[in-house]
Amino acid sequence: MTASKIISESPVRPTPADTKLLASAQSTALAVRDLYQVAVGAGAGGEHVACLVSIAAHHDAYAQSISSLIGRAAPQARDSEVFSANEADFGSDTMATALAAHALENSLVAAHTELVGMLEGTEGAALIASMVIIEARHVVALAAIAGKSPIDDTDLFLVTPEAAQADTLTTTTVA
Amino acid sequence: MSNSNREELQAFSQIVKATQGADFGPALQSSLSRRRFFIAGGATISFGALLAACGGSTKTGIARLGEAPTKTELIDAPVTDIALLRTATSLEHNAIFVYEAVAAAGLLSGDAATLAARFLSDHQAHAEATASLTEKLGGKAYNEPNPRLQSIYIEPALRLITGDDASGIPVTEDPAADVLALAYALETIAGSTYQVYVPLLADSALRAAAIGIGEQEARHAAVIGSLLNPSRLVSSFGLSIAAGYQETTDVAAPAYAVPTTFGTKAPVPVVLGAPSEAGIRTTLNLETPSLNSMVYEYLDGE
Repeated sequence: MTASKIISESPVRPTPADTKLLASAQSTALAVRDLYQVAVGAGAGGEHVACLVSIAAHHDAYAQSISSLIGRAAPQARDSEVFSANEADFGSDTMATALAAHALENSLVAAHTELVGMLEGTEGAALIASMVIIEARHVVALAAIAGKSPIDDTDLFLVTPEAAQADTLTTTTVA
Repeated sequence: MSNSNREELQAFSQIVKATQGADFGPALQSSLSRRRFFIAGGATISFGALLAACGGSTKTGIARLGEAPTKTELIDAPVTDIALLRTATSLEHNAIFVYEAVAAAGLLSGDAATLAARFLSDHQAHAEATASLTEKLGGKAYNEPNPRLQSIYIEPALRLITGDDASGIPVTEDPAADVLALAYALETIAGSTYQVYVPLLADSALRAAAIGIGEQEARHAAVIGSLLNPSRLVSSFGLSIAAGYQETTDVAAPAYAVPTTFGTKAPVPVVLGAPSEAGIRTTLNLETPSLNSMVYEYLDGE
């Protein structure tokens, strides 16, 4: 047994700068939720429709959790740019939707990983980190739904594409 | 004992006799005169002096038999970024140990063996990355499996799979299935560990690096989950979704590609080994490294 203590002088609650970043993340989460709902409404999913509905619910939960952190600063509205840019890819075709969602979740993983390093408050960083872990799992589930093989298409399951990482450097809406 | 002390003791005895059997209620309080109160108080003080006079020792401490052991101070071991990174490296070596042991024993074949080899390669890269970060911070990298996790999780789990004659543990019925179950739990815990480290790390750049590795561990777990439970990739447990999309069972499956809404910090149970005579298999609960599992820098000197 040791007498241990955590060494960190970081603030716990979100700072004003954190609040702006988290507000943007909430708008993105709501846009992603709506994209899945559009696809399910159009008939996408097939035998995995419950998975798409569940993933939509995850993003809704992310938006709610961010609300609980930043209160009235939460926009409570989807990012219309993210929604519009991806809406056409979330249609009735399950495979096409799964691949589009796969790319979107990969970009979320990259963006949120970067966001974790930008946030000063530990509560916000911890929340986004817990989202990143599951968004990475979403990527794998969506690759499987798209009919890809973890043996033949291994990197599709395990690697965050450089394109998604590059997006995080240039895209501020997916924060 | 001197005469004066003997007289004081007799006086005290009389006072004690006078109060024996008395009801310590309102009646006694009213009957206990102020004079007797002072007498009792004086006798008590005198009796204390008598006890002190009887003692021949010059020690001022409380009397005791034998010598008390020397008090061992707890080591002040702060959870620094270096300690966290060393622990992360050690956890990567736990995973490396498992995949190497599984490969050496030939427990997996085909696609599962191919994936395990890829995961092993990833963990080796993660171990190099965390070791490099440790050294950049001025620390000494720890390139061994975490000794505590090795003894409480890894070695018992492998014994349950491969059997151990000395302990009377039989070989499990389906080693490949048990290896996948263990790998699923281990990868989940690895991802959780990096997630848990995010708010603990003082350097925000290290937080991004940590979760960047953690998300890759999560992908490993998800791939295994998708192989173990291909018909239901995303768990519906805990979600407020329409009944038609809910799973029809009351109990969650042991593995999913996506088991929860948020990354979990909860223990991950894994069922391993041959069933006992009663048909019960052993459940190990894997947890993220606690304060007692950290690889503090002071441990290098032990």
